[in-house]
Amino acid sequence: MLNRSLKIGIVCPYSWDTPGGVQNHIRDLAEYLIQAGHQVSVLAPVMDEEKLPYYVVSAGKPISIPYNGAVARVLFGPVAFSRVRQWISNGEFDLLHLHEPAIPSISLLACWAAEGPMVGTFHAAAKRQKIIFAIGPILEPAIEKLSARIAVSEAARLTLTDHLDTDAIVIPNGIYASRYHNGIPDKKWQGNTIGFIGRFEEPRKGLSVLLAALPVIARFAPDVKVFVAGPGDPTDVEKSIDPQLRHRFEFLGKISEQEKANFMSSVSIYVAPNTGGESFGIILAEALAGGACVVASDIPAFDDLLGQGQFGALFKSEDSTDLAKVIIDLLRDEKKRSELATAGRARGQSFDWEIVAQQIYSVYEMSIVGSEKVKLASDTRTWNRFLSKDEK
Amino acid sequence: MTQWFLGIFVLLISLWYLTFLATRLDRLHHRVETSWANLDVLLQKRAAVALEIAHSDIADPASSLLLTGAAYQARDANIASRSAAESGLSGALGLLLEDSEHLSTAADNALLTELSSLTDKIRVAIAIHTDAVTRTQMVRSKIIVKLFRLAGTAPLPVTYEFESDVL
Repeated sequence: MLNRSLKIGIVCPYSWDTPGGVQNHIRDLAEYLIQAGHQVSVLAPVMDEEKLPYYVVSAGKPISIPYNGAVARVLFGPVAFSRVRQWISNGEFDLLHLHEPAIPSISLLACWAAEGPMVGTFHAAAKRQKIIFAIGPILEPAIEKLSARIAVSEAARLTLTDHLDTDAIVIPNGIYASRYHNGIPDKKWQGNTIGFIGRFEEPRKGLSVLLAALPVIARFAPDVKVFVAGPGDPTDVEKSIDPQLRHRFEFLGKISEQEKANFMSSVSIYVAPNTGGESFGIILAEALAGGACVVASDIPAFDDLLGQGQFGALFKSEDSTDLAKVIIDLLRDEKKRSELATAGRARGQSFDWEIVAQQIYSVYEMSIVGSEKVKLASDTRTWNRFLSKDEK
Repeated sequence: MTQWFLGIFVLLISLWYLTFLATRLDRLHHRVETSWANLDVLLQKRAAVALEIAHSDIADPASSLLLTGAAYQARDANIASRSAAESGLSGALGLLLEDSEHLSTAADNALLTELSSLTDKIRVAIAIHTDAVTRTQMVRSKIIVKLFRLAGTAPLPVTYEFESDVL
């Protein structure tokens, strides 16, 4: 029921030009909304201002800080704050959609500076940290201004209730399921094959778990082959592989979307051995939509996404023996494989943007009341004046 | 001299904090009202759709009677009995939909899809409203808020007991 044209402001906390789940999500959402006839402006930190899509507004150059076990490229500070305020007051938005507003970033600044219909999406899933006792009282009044909160997964929702004591509506990340639906099975990837896609150099993606499981798998299925796709330099990983098994591996490098679709419909088993730090697992949703039989570690996000094993097999996270067992069982049982793949394909459809964007839009509708627009908050006006003097 | 300045400084800070809390509370009250208005509109719409369903071919005479009764009750209920009436309507709709799935025609399907999209929205609206209410109650339970009567004359919002599963 996308029937009224809205002016929507989306704030991206992370640098627009570094690849990442949140950025992809925002890009797809913005493009979907624009296609549906809305006006969208995305405010994001940007490193290189030259190749920006027309709907992105730069908030300045990001700085790198360590956050949640990785390096986050974010932006804050007085200059950024004044840019955020300028964007808000010039934009005359019907609604602001802030992503990850609980970390120090322009999302939090926007949350602080604005007043009116606001929706926040929480992506991260993390264990409870002590620091929250210190920053909770500062964050709370800001987070409270959001009319509605969205969490991308059950894990993210639990993080939110744990940390900030508020509830959220769970709406998963979206994928363009139709792109994966029509993958053409490719002979070179078929047979007893295992697929893996991701930045394999990062330990938390868990390629090492798969490496450790391979000797056992190779004993039961001598013709097994493993295809690893994703950006990165494979030389280091190749060195760590047992020489006898090295020819079982093939590194494909970064592959295109179309190749990804073909890849998912060709391989016998798609493996996601991630050891943690994953909040949703967009690649698993894509694998399901592409009709792959999925094997994943039982971290909360994956457990949730795979319906506790209904739509794909799970193994004990970081346990390579269990992984080997699950894979061998599946390689031998073609019927079970196709059953899982069929169930998974239907599940994958439920993450299609058509459905997900509709859910997000319902939340927008609920947050917008009358014709009230987003404006600068009244209680930071003094602070604003103080800041703008400071800059000159 | 320094003591004076310090005193004024502390006074200013506490004054700022009080106004800050008051705006925060004001915003929360506003949110409670608007989210309730939203929810109210949706529930009224649902009652209207329920009536339409009752008059269509989807419902047999018995459930039509049940549904009409529940819909009118939900529309006319006063604040205190609203919750029970809406739950009654949910129940009546649920009963009907449970066994009507296979016998509905294309024309009736339009009604049913409208109902299900309304139900989705109601679920979101309930979540938003309940959250606003609990937040407000939390802030209002602070001692400072009580001491300085920052809430003014605004009534303390009450949690609206919905069945967590509407349909």
